[in-house]
Amino acid sequence: MSDAATGKAPLLSVQNLSVNYGAIKALKRANLDVFNGEIVAVIGANGAGKTTLMNAIVGDVPRAEGIILLEGARLPAKSYQVVAAGVSISPEGRKVFAPLTVHENLEMGAFPIKDRNEVKKLREKIYNLFPRLRERMTQYAGTLSGGEQQMLAIGRALMARPRVLLLDEPSLGLAPIIISEIFKELTKINSELGMTMLIVEQNARKALQLSHRAYVLQTGEITMSGNSKELLRNPEIEAAYLGGKKKK
Amino acid sequence: MNTLLQQVINGLSLGSVYALIAVGYSLVYSILLFSNFAHGGFLVIGGYICYYLLLTAGLNIWLAALGALIGAGLSAVLVEFLAYRPIRERTPVTLYMLIASMGMSIVIENIFVVTIGGRFRALPDVIPTQSLELFTGTTVSMFDVLSLVTSMVFLAGLQLFLSKTKWGLAVRAASYNLKTAGLMGVNVNRLISIVFFVAGLLAAIGGIFLSVRYTLYPQLGAITTKAFVAAVIGGLGSLPGAVVGSLILGLAEMLATGFLSSQFRDLIVFGLLIVTLIIRPTGLFGKSVGEKV
Repeated sequence: MSDAATGKAPLLSVQNLSVNYGAIKALKRANLDVFNGEIVAVIGANGAGKTTLMNAIVGDVPRAEGIILLEGARLPAKSYQVVAAGVSISPEGRKVFAPLTVHENLEMGAFPIKDRNEVKKLREKIYNLFPRLRERMTQYAGTLSGGEQQMLAIGRALMARPRVLLLDEPSLGLAPIIISEIFKELTKINSELGMTMLIVEQNARKALQLSHRAYVLQTGEITMSGNSKELLRNPEIEAAYLGGKKKK
Repeated sequence: MNTLLQQVINGLSLGSVYALIAVGYSLVYSILLFSNFAHGGFLVIGGYICYYLLLTAGLNIWLAALGALIGAGLSAVLVEFLAYRPIRERTPVTLYMLIASMGMSIVIENIFVVTIGGRFRALPDVIPTQSLELFTGTTVSMFDVLSLVTSMVFLAGLQLFLSKTKWGLAVRAASYNLKTAGLMGVNVNRLISIVFFVAGLLAAIGGIFLSVRYTLYPQLGAITTKAFVAAVIGGLGSLPGAVVGSLILGLAEMLATGFLSSQFRDLIVFGLLIVTLIIRPTGLFGKSVGEKV
């Protein structure tokens, strides 16, 4: 049972967050909560502001207004401090370090962790989670397939021992069968490791199936939110994001 | 045959000094993606610090060189802080940093012209320059051997730093994608300072050897053009490329001097550059690992 139902304070709380790119308002006073143990999805069309939301949380773009709280404390504004505070990200387009080996990519993920033994243990955990990465340990990340690169990006983010894992479009550019594999892995990471996740996805159906709760982002504004199972059956959502299946 | 061997050693020695300069320049390029034209200034700063520590402070060469290395490293960090960081934080367009670096290069040069004058200064005899007879008939200068060995030691040290340390790994990651390195928890500003410190330090070693070879003057930094050329031939942003390009360039210069005439030196150097750009624009070791999307 997640904390959403029990009335506890959220683990990650985004309050009135706005982001401007010059005159363009990319995100308008967005509010969003993620409770401990939950998977929360943000769905929306291209250009709705999903990646902007992620980038604002990790401090990659400046926040124009609003605050972000992690366990009640203000999340710092600089990205390197955000990681140390407990939020790490598997970025859009994966962004693995192509000229570094799989091993070195994982090391980079654990950059804020000083204890070498701890890093070793974490790496072992990631290799158990993704045995394919263990097989490719000494290979350059640039030579991996798209799906393996996505696993590496997720594993690299987990290496920072985050309280909340952010996932930006993990399905981007992957074949359906690979997407299913990745999402199955994410479910496992959530249920077995208890990892709290915030995921933004264009693939709304997959995201709603994976998550417990979801928010709908439309041209920079959160227009709807609720239980993912219910949203999946919502005719409005179905028409706009799930390919508008015909009613039988 | 003897001349050939002598010129090869001379060429490698000169090339290895270029390599020290080219590697630092290339390192900065790989992280910030602009050509730092103020890089030559760092070697001049190193040269002058060494000169004054030897003459005025009366230190021995080891301490003077140490002071020069640290001093030049810190001034490189300062140049980045004053001239590039404010630009970096406002715009992703690297062209502005390139222009700022041209300005900084003139500023550094003129600080020396204004304060201590533009005359040529010779470093005292602190680096042995006598001839060594390798075997009958072949002599090389002690200086060439020393500069070759010193450069190799420092290049190996850089390699160790990059491959064995946590910050070295971060530098390699950042040279692929600086922003993503930041997302991993790397303090990007600190990383850039480290890179500039290393670049300034390596340039200072080059500066000391070059001021013994050619004497010291405020425009000595112009020799960095050769290191730029070497870095382009080797592949911009690639460190092995910068080293190999530098050695090729040093060899080409010395062989041209030995067998043609010293007037052909620069013709050959820039000829090599043009040929490289025509045949292989990315240089010998140009980045080839792509990113899958």
